[in-house]
Amino acid sequence: MEKEEVKKIIYELVEASTGKKKLKQSDILKKVSADHGIEKDEVKAALRDLVDAGTLIFTYFGGSFIEIPPK
Amino acid sequence: MSKKHDTPLLDELEKGPFPSFVTEMKMAAKHSDMSNDLLGHTELCYKERVTHWKHGGIVGVRGYGGGVIGRYSDIPDKFPGVAHFHTVRVNCPSGFYYTSAALKEMCDLWDQYGSGMTNVHGSTGDLVFLGTKTEHLEPFFAEISSRGWDLGGSGSALRTPSCCLGKSRCEWANIDTMAITNDITQHYQDEMHRPAFPYKFKFKIAGCPVDCIASIARADMSIIGTWKGPIRINQDEVQNYAKKMNIQAEIIDMCPTGCMAFDGKSMKIDNANCNRCMHCIAKMTKALRPGTEQGATLLLGSKAPIVTGALMSWVIVPFIKMEPPYEEFYDLIDKIWEWWDEHGKNRERIGELIERLSFPRFLKDVGLDPHPAMVKEPRRDPFFFWDESDIEK
Amino acid sequence: MSLPDRQTDIGPPHYSKFLPPVIAKNYGKWLYHEVLSAGTMVHVSESGEKVYTVRAATPRLLSTDRIREFCAIAEKHCGGHLRFTSRNNVEFMVDAESKVAPLVKELNDKKYMVGGIGPRISNVVHTQGWVHCHSAATDASGLVKAIMDDVHEYFTDKELPNKVRIAVACCVNMCGAVHCSDIALVGVHKTPPRIDDNNVKNFCEVPSTISSCPTSAISPDPAKKSVKIKLEKCMYCGNCYSVCPAMPIADAKNDGIAIVVGGKVSNLRSDPTFSKLVVPWIPNNPPRWPEVTDAVQKILKAYVAGAKKHERVGEWIDRIGWEGFFRETGFEFKYQHIDDFTFARETFRMAATFKWS
Repeated sequence: MEKEEVKKIIYELVEASTGKKKLKQSDILKKVSADHGIEKDEVKAALRDLVDAGTLIFTYFGGSFIEIPPK
Repeated sequence: MSKKHDTPLLDELEKGPFPSFVTEMKMAAKHSDMSNDLLGHTELCYKERVTHWKHGGIVGVRGYGGGVIGRYSDIPDKFPGVAHFHTVRVNCPSGFYYTSAALKEMCDLWDQYGSGMTNVHGSTGDLVFLGTKTEHLEPFFAEISSRGWDLGGSGSALRTPSCCLGKSRCEWANIDTMAITNDITQHYQDEMHRPAFPYKFKFKIAGCPVDCIASIARADMSIIGTWKGPIRINQDEVQNYAKKMNIQAEIIDMCPTGCMAFDGKSMKIDNANCNRCMHCIAKMTKALRPGTEQGATLLLGSKAPIVTGALMSWVIVPFIKMEPPYEEFYDLIDKIWEWWDEHGKNRERIGELIERLSFPRFLKDVGLDPHPAMVKEPRRDPFFFWDESDIEK
Repeated sequence: MSLPDRQTDIGPPHYSKFLPPVIAKNYGKWLYHEVLSAGTMVHVSESGEKVYTVRAATPRLLSTDRIREFCAIAEKHCGGHLRFTSRNNVEFMVDAESKVAPLVKELNDKKYMVGGIGPRISNVVHTQGWVHCHSAATDASGLVKAIMDDVHEYFTDKELPNKVRIAVACCVNMCGAVHCSDIALVGVHKTPPRIDDNNVKNFCEVPSTISSCPTSAISPDPAKKSVKIKLEKCMYCGNCYSVCPAMPIADAKNDGIAIVVGGKVSNLRSDPTFSKLVVPWIPNNPPRWPEVTDAVQKILKAYVAGAKKHERVGEWIDRIGWEGFFRETGFEFKYQHIDDFTFARETFRMAATFKWS
């Protein structure tokens, strides 16, 4: 799968989860990898791109999570 | 900066011989508005006997999920200087050695971008820069990273590994703690900066069972140097000690395994029964030294009392050579983290997970054979499990 | 002024850049060491070379100007090299005995406390407290200052039966191995968190807040989209507050300090040991917490009077029994001393052998 496509899947997963359940990095790797049959490392690389670009960010509240940055 | 707040309670803590943190805050307040307000803020906490800091929030440097702890005052109107007062954790060099040139450069940068207050060091071992505003985080990070420094860990991530000074200045080091610590830190940069664990994970590396770095009490993975084979004895030096100490009372009688004897002329050790507690070696540094086949014992699981009680690390690998490139060690760590990732809940430390799922299961899943060194005693109940393969069909 | 290019994932500078020459040259070659005084020791290498170390206390919370002063001392005496210990002391190292006295003199002249080596009280491991922590039930730096002022002679001069490691944690999170110290002070709460329903709704995840409670005291309150607490089950650990900021637990009148003793991390003679509760609660009495310093003195006095040479506090108590400890110190034994949590069963006395107190 193209990296851009993986990035889109990750972003949509985080978006859909916003306000319901905070996702940890590991939740995202496990879910995307299982749902789409891609290696975790590949998901991780795509996620890292998103975080490096600031499209997604790490947050902390009694644990570290991946979220969409506040407007 | 001129004095902004009266601090009668804190002033009391400038009296007496021990160096005063209040004096430090006042020194920083001379050229920082933030530290000036920190003084007033702390005085109010003292007066009201309650903290005025709020939870952290979403602050950090781009791309990283740790290294910065958000901190805000709950009374920012009264103390605008500490409205934001974030902490930056900078990864310490192994062994806490510095040159004045390096430290002064960091101090200049911190005066420019922060409050001028630090912790040398934080509990985990980071060089902690205490108090800056959100907009100063990126510039400070650019300045320090371009000079060869990086952030330490925070959140659900690998925390900054730390160690005793080991072979750099201690004759008891059975492993090269500083080299190992640096290697682990470099090997796992991603795990430190981009939190992916159920909760925190700490490594602490001690050169011998004296454990000056308290690894057994506060590291998820405690690496403690040890040896096999006989303690090296210099009998001439034993004779010299006999002239200035009561070897029978202070050494032989205090040996926990009763494996030593001294007849006034020479010292004998029944090494097979020695448990390497280090008492005799620590008290007779010139006469006794650890054996020459050196390595480490790996222990896993310690943590502070939150939530169901404190744990100390326990033995999972009785003996491992800790020499570069540490392949066997890294293979094991990767397996342990995979297992923790698979089964761990949010905020569950590895030690707690093993307690929940069972130690034998952990050993099987990560591929470690059982060994009597792993327990103080075998189980006393008759309720144990078998595998399919153990059952006759 | 433009910023330099940021780098990521480079890790810390390699330690070899910072080692004093005598340390670098004799790395891994040390033969033995001797304690020369409360604040000085010498390590001797196979090569015959020696390194002399001078140790002084710091409050851990340091201003950049203080670090610059340490740097100036290091430049004058140690070729610009210095290090810190894991117990917040600063160490200056020189390669000849003749260089020790001028260094110690300068430190003394500048009012630094030189000491902490050998069978003494070293510096106190501690946390942030009111100076910088949101979950603090007490201050840490102030307690450290009050205690160390009170026992300073055991840092700079007087010997004890063995080392006494003191630690301070400003809440039960216990950042920093407080739970395995000879004497440790821990900030504790006595009252449950207060729920701000509106903020729970806006800022907290109800399921993770509920699961954060070790005693299952928290349950959902669907009508308010919040949570409720079964008060009799709450043991005031504050873990829910870490997960949900809308459940503040700080209580100025009821927060205070517990004292635990007898722990150690070293394997010397006996196994590493957790500290055990001896005083469940002392009120916060800043700025100098006199009730706390009195209690610490009581423990130290009983230890000095009762312990044999080389016995740590816990080893001494092990020998005389905890009932002996309460007899020697005069601390009142209360319901709170008897464990009713995770490890309770192991702590009950299943024997008829005890000493009268």
